[in-house]
This record gives sequence, C-alpha cells and structure tokens, in this order.
Amino acid sequence: MGIWKKSVLAAGFVALMCGSALSQDKPFEGVQLKMLGIGDTSVTRLAKITSEFEEQTGAKVQIDMLPYPGLIDKIIIEASSDKPTYQLLWVDSPWVGMLGEAGALQDLTEYAKRDAAEIGLDDIIPVQLQENSWQGQLLAFPASGMIWHVNYRQDLFDDAGEKEAFKAKYSYDLAPPATWQQFHDIAEFFTRKKGDKLAGKVLEQDFYGNAESYSRVQGAITHDYFPIMRGFGGDYWDPATGLCAMTGEPHVKAAEFMKSLVPFNPPDYLGLMWDIQSGYMERGETALSGYWSVRTVRLTNPEEAKLPTLGKAGFSGGPTEDGKPQPTYTGSLSFAINAKVSDQEKEAAWAFIKWGTGEKIMRRLADEGWGISQFRKSILADPALQEKYPYYKVLLDTQTNARRRIFHPFYADVEENFGVELSKYMAGETATAQEALGNACTAVNSRLSMFPLEQRLRWINDAPVTVLQK
Amino acid sequence: MGYVNRRNRTIAGVFLLPTAAVLFLTTIYPMLYALYLSFRNYDLAKPFIPRIFVGLANFQEVLTSGPFLHSMLITFKLMGVTLFFQFVIGVGLALLVTQRLPGMAAIRTLLLIPMMISPVIVGLVWLFIYFPELGYFNYFIGLIGINPIPWITSTQWALTAIAIADIWQWTPFVMMGTAAALQSLSPEPYEAARIDGNSNIDVFLHVTLPQLKPVLISLLFLRAIDAFKIYDIIFVLTKGGPGDATETIALYIYRQSFTFWRMGVGAAASFVSLIIISVLITLFFKSMQKSAAAR
Repeated sequence: MGIWKKSVLAAGFVALMCGSALSQDKPFEGVQLKMLGIGDTSVTRLAKITSEFEEQTGAKVQIDMLPYPGLIDKIIIEASSDKPTYQLLWVDSPWVGMLGEAGALQDLTEYAKRDAAEIGLDDIIPVQLQENSWQGQLLAFPASGMIWHVNYRQDLFDDAGEKEAFKAKYSYDLAPPATWQQFHDIAEFFTRKKGDKLAGKVLEQDFYGNAESYSRVQGAITHDYFPIMRGFGGDYWDPATGLCAMTGEPHVKAAEFMKSLVPFNPPDYLGLMWDIQSGYMERGETALSGYWSVRTVRLTNPEEAKLPTLGKAGFSGGPTEDGKPQPTYTGSLSFAINAKVSDQEKEAAWAFIKWGTGEKIMRRLADEGWGISQFRKSILADPALQEKYPYYKVLLDTQTNARRRIFHPFYADVEENFGVELSKYMAGETATAQEALGNACTAVNSRLSMFPLEQRLRWINDAPVTVLQK
Repeated sequence: MGYVNRRNRTIAGVFLLPTAAVLFLTTIYPMLYALYLSFRNYDLAKPFIPRIFVGLANFQEVLTSGPFLHSMLITFKLMGVTLFFQFVIGVGLALLVTQRLPGMAAIRTLLLIPMMISPVIVGLVWLFIYFPELGYFNYFIGLIGINPIPWITSTQWALTAIAIADIWQWTPFVMMGTAAALQSLSPEPYEAARIDGNSNIDVFLHVTLPQLKPVLISLLFLRAIDAFKIYDIIFVLTKGGPGDATETIALYIYRQSFTFWRMGVGAAASFVSLIIISVLITLFFKSMQKSAAAR
C-alpha cells in the first residue's frame, strides 16, 4: 500500500472516529424541538439560554410563548391533531387530569425512574410530583412550584406610627395575617385616600389595603377563591358521589370573605387578572395581596418591580379561619411531552426537561437574580438563598404541608362556571354567595351526573404517583 | 352558434372553479360539518366521551339554557343602542359632510378611518382608552375632577363601554351610505319645499327622510346583521365579563365551543344564530320589495 493510500485511509478513519465522538457528544443533532409555552417566569428565564442546551445536545429548541388566556385552547387543538407540531407542552397542573384522560401527554414515569439520580428526584418536594400526576402516572415535570400565599408591604408593617395606630384601632399587634379576620383588618386599616398620610408621607394617589384577583378571565377569580376556600376548610368534591360539593359553610364563608374585601380593592377589581393584580403590589400601591408565588419572584427584583426601590416586600403563608396551619393548595407550572411525537423526539424532549428543570439551572437562575418559584428542597432550604429571597422559606414550609390543586378532567367547566358566578356575586348581580356557588355547582354537576358513579369517583381519586414509590 | 355557447359556458365554468372551490372549502364544507356536529355529542377535549348522534338534544339544550337566553338579551340590547346612535349620529354627520363647505372632503375621509380598522385593533385601541388606572378616558375626566370610572370592569359600565367603541367604529358606515344617498337626491322637491316656506326641519322630515328611507333601511339591516355577530371588540375588551354582563350570542358560542369544548352545543347555538340572521335577512328583502313597490 502506497503512502498516499495509507494517508487517505488514516484520515478517513480519524474522520469517522471524530464524527462518531461528535455524534455521541451531541446525541440529538438534527432534532428540532418546539415548545408551546407561556410568556411567564417559568419559561422566559429559560428561553434566554436554550442555546446552551443546543450546544450540549445538538437539538434545536424553539419556544413559542403565548399569554395564559388561550394557551390551553392551543394545547387542546394540538393534542387533538394526529400530526403534532409541538413536542414540548407547557402545562398548568390543573390541566393534567383533562389532558391525561384524553391521552395527550406522555407518561414520564419510566424516564424519571431511569434518570432518578440525574434529575435529583428526591430533591423535589413530593407534592410537586403528585401535582403533575394523573391516576398515578407522572404526566408532566415541575418547572416552577407554586403556592398561594400572602405578599405584604414589610416597610409599612415595620413603621412605628402605623403599628401604633393599628394597635389602637384593633387592639392587637400589626403582623402578617394568620387569620382571615386579621387579613380583613389589615386590608381595611391600610385603605387610604389621596391626601391621607401613609407611614408619615402624604399620598399622591389612593392607596389600596388589598388587591385580589376578581377577574373572571381564565378563571382568575376561581383560582384565588380555591385557596381561600381551603383556608376556611373547604374542598372541591363530595367523596361519596364525585360531584361538586362547593356549596357548604366553608365555601360560602370564603366567597363572602372575598366580597368583604371589595371596598379595600382598586375600583377596577372585577378586571384584576393575575398580572394586573400583582402589578399593584409590584408598584407598591397596595398593602396586602394574596397570590400565586409564580409572580412573587418579581417582588425582589428592581428590574421587574418598583417595590424594592420604594420599600420592602414581606411574605407569609395563607391565613386560615382559626389561625392554625391548614394544608393549602399548591400548584405547578410544568413541562410535558406530547404523546404523539416520535421516540427520538420524546428522548430529546425529556433531555430538555432534565436540563431546564435541573438543580444546576435552577440554582444558576436563583444566583443571577432571575427568580423562579422553586420546587427543589436543596435550593429552598439554602440559607444564603433564603437570605436573598425571603419567600423561599415560605415556599418550603407551605409546599411541604400542601395538598394538590384541582385535577379533574372537567376542570375547565369548574373554572369557567365558578369564574362567571363568583364574578357576578362580587359585582352584586347575584344576591348571595350560596346562590352563586349553587348555580356554579349545578352547572358542573349537570355534566358530571351523566357519568357512572365509578367513573366520577375515579376522577376525584388522587392515586399516589408511582414514581415516588420505592 | 351552439358550439360557441357551449365553449363559453365551459370557459366560464373553468373561471368559476377556483372561486367555487374556495367557497366550498371555506364556507360550505365547514357549515355542513358544523351541521353534522350540531347533532352529535362532540367534546374536543374529552375524546373518551362517545361522539354519538344525539338528535335535537343540543338544540333543545341551547334554546332552554338560561345563559343562551341571557346572551340573546344582551345581543339585542347592544344592537338596539348601537344602531340607534349610529343612525342618529351617522345621518347627522352625513348632512354635515354633504354641505358645500371648505375642507369637507378631507373631514369625510378622516371620518371613514375607524371603519377601515380591524375590530380587534379597535378593541385594543379602546382597551388603552378604557384601562382603569392608566387609560386616557380616566386621565381626562380626572383633569376635571371626576373620579375614575371602571369602564370595562363594572357590570354597570361594561356594555356601555362596548357600545361606545362599536358606535365609534360603525357610525362612519352609516354616514358614508347616507351621504352617498343625499348626493343623489333630486333637487326639485327641495326647491318646491322652500318656495312653500317650509323650515329646514320640515324639509328634512318631509322631503329628505322619505327619500332616504330605502337606503336607511338597507343600512339598518346590514348593520343589524353585523351587530348581531359582534365578537371581536368584546373578546378584546371584556371577554364577556364582568360576570356575564357583556356575553353576546357570539361569545356564548365561543364559550361553549372553546372553553367547555362542547363543539356539538356550540354548533347548535351557531345554527340557532344563523336562523335568527336569516329571519332578519328575509325581513330586509321583504321590506326592500315593499319599498320598491311603493315607488
């Protein structure tokens, strides 16, 4: 063999080896992943750095970010198509039952078991995995763990004059509310008009004691009513019939409580969708606001909220009727894989989920100040991070003692019917809370009662997620 | 000769084919499919529910449903208010812009702009205007000491807010149609009326208005059909809320189809709505025929 022939052969062999090494380095070279996502913190943070995933794996990722209202519509249409466009789907945990019963989402149990060490399965707060399960199958993976809790103006609560005035009026110390009555008192106390004084300064505009979500759009009012209802000791379903049971005493009390807060809310209260509601706290225009922690993360970042430049945000768990801790509802904003995509795309999508929700990325986002409502124990319990983000302790404590949120296949009926009826009640169109809740439950039950009891009971049964079973 | 006719018909058929195909794919097929759905229990989000034939059950549900009847009431209420103001203002503007005054041509063109904007954009523009805390409306009324009004977030104001936006957009349509009709009116009756010493109001009521009647009826029915279908502006501004204060028939159909995913019920509601529009159209043509016969 001549020297030239040998050289060509050697070069070919080297090229082959390099190519093989390269393809092992980038196992998903040529794979295109598309995610149907939301334009909120659980996605926006990650969207900025997806090129790093592409560099590592070779898979190209395109994230289409849509507003929350209307996103589920696109996902259902995508799920009903035989030719999927999106491999990755952003999922709010209440949708899991509806999408799970429709067979739209890939079961991630085997993937998670296989890669348990890599994803740090034991590091995830268990309720976050339960939250993403349907009939024991893990159908989505948490990308942001939520809890409904209270955000308040810590600087106002610390003001000596305000503290003194509060004690004089209510005969107890001003502190984060442990009971709903205290929540009401604080909201009432801090409701001030333009020209009044707040912490010694004359107000240039009205100041609101409270800002809650009362908008019916995408069931915002429903999702804020549910944790309040839970705080009063209520729950969704009748365990004997599998039908809507939200007409009892705790449910009525919760709705009446929400209505009692209306005078302390901005005049556009019926239009307060989550982003508008949290905007009041972010701009420092309200004293107290209970909302989902996915937006709380903005309160410590002066690039996203004005509050850190005006004062300081404080954080506490949701109140209860008697002040004794009660498991509240949690939530999860998660990533799921479209069940209809190819096996290779599923593997690539799972690799993306592992990368995007892993401890390394989560810690990096926390370190850089781009907070995500975290769901990993190691991050939430980190003293340095707790110092930086005081809400981490609240997230850890409340999620550890939480119950999963609604997960029923008829979730959309619940969300919409309660949204409309509660909105009408808050607006004074329906006379009593009992009537409003009765109307909503009747509408939900009119559909559910057509199904056999066995099926209804299966839908409300929260089977333990098998991925956590040893 | 026969060959030429046959060839012309063939050529005409070939030219019509693309239009017919587009019409079939975009209108006729979806309509037939919707008709098929209206008789079935079809839930897009729940494939586990058998998509069976249910006869007239969906129609029965729609026609006996409180929310549907409520949405019908809201639709007719909105229709009545918007049509009244669009016609009063539109005819008034038409009388103004047909005067031979300097700058009228430019004003006429400017007044037509709202009509040319897509309703979704109109909705977004009015969203900025109505926005409770930062909206222009509340800013300007604040300058004269009036408290902010929750335009789109109160059950008292939301329907009015939508009516204002719709009146703003569609008054130019009435103005344009009326102005065109005014310019084509014969001058003789006016001269006769003036010689008889009639006042301007008498001339308008007894000379102009009777001559405008056929055009105004045409415009009224066209606007009524459009107002009946109002959707875009409401979807952007209130999505039917607060409560169900602005839920029109179109919003009801949307909610059934794309919130509850009950495509069968949504399709049945669409057909009920179609029947109502068809009745309106029939009335329109009958009234046109009557007017023509009277002339």
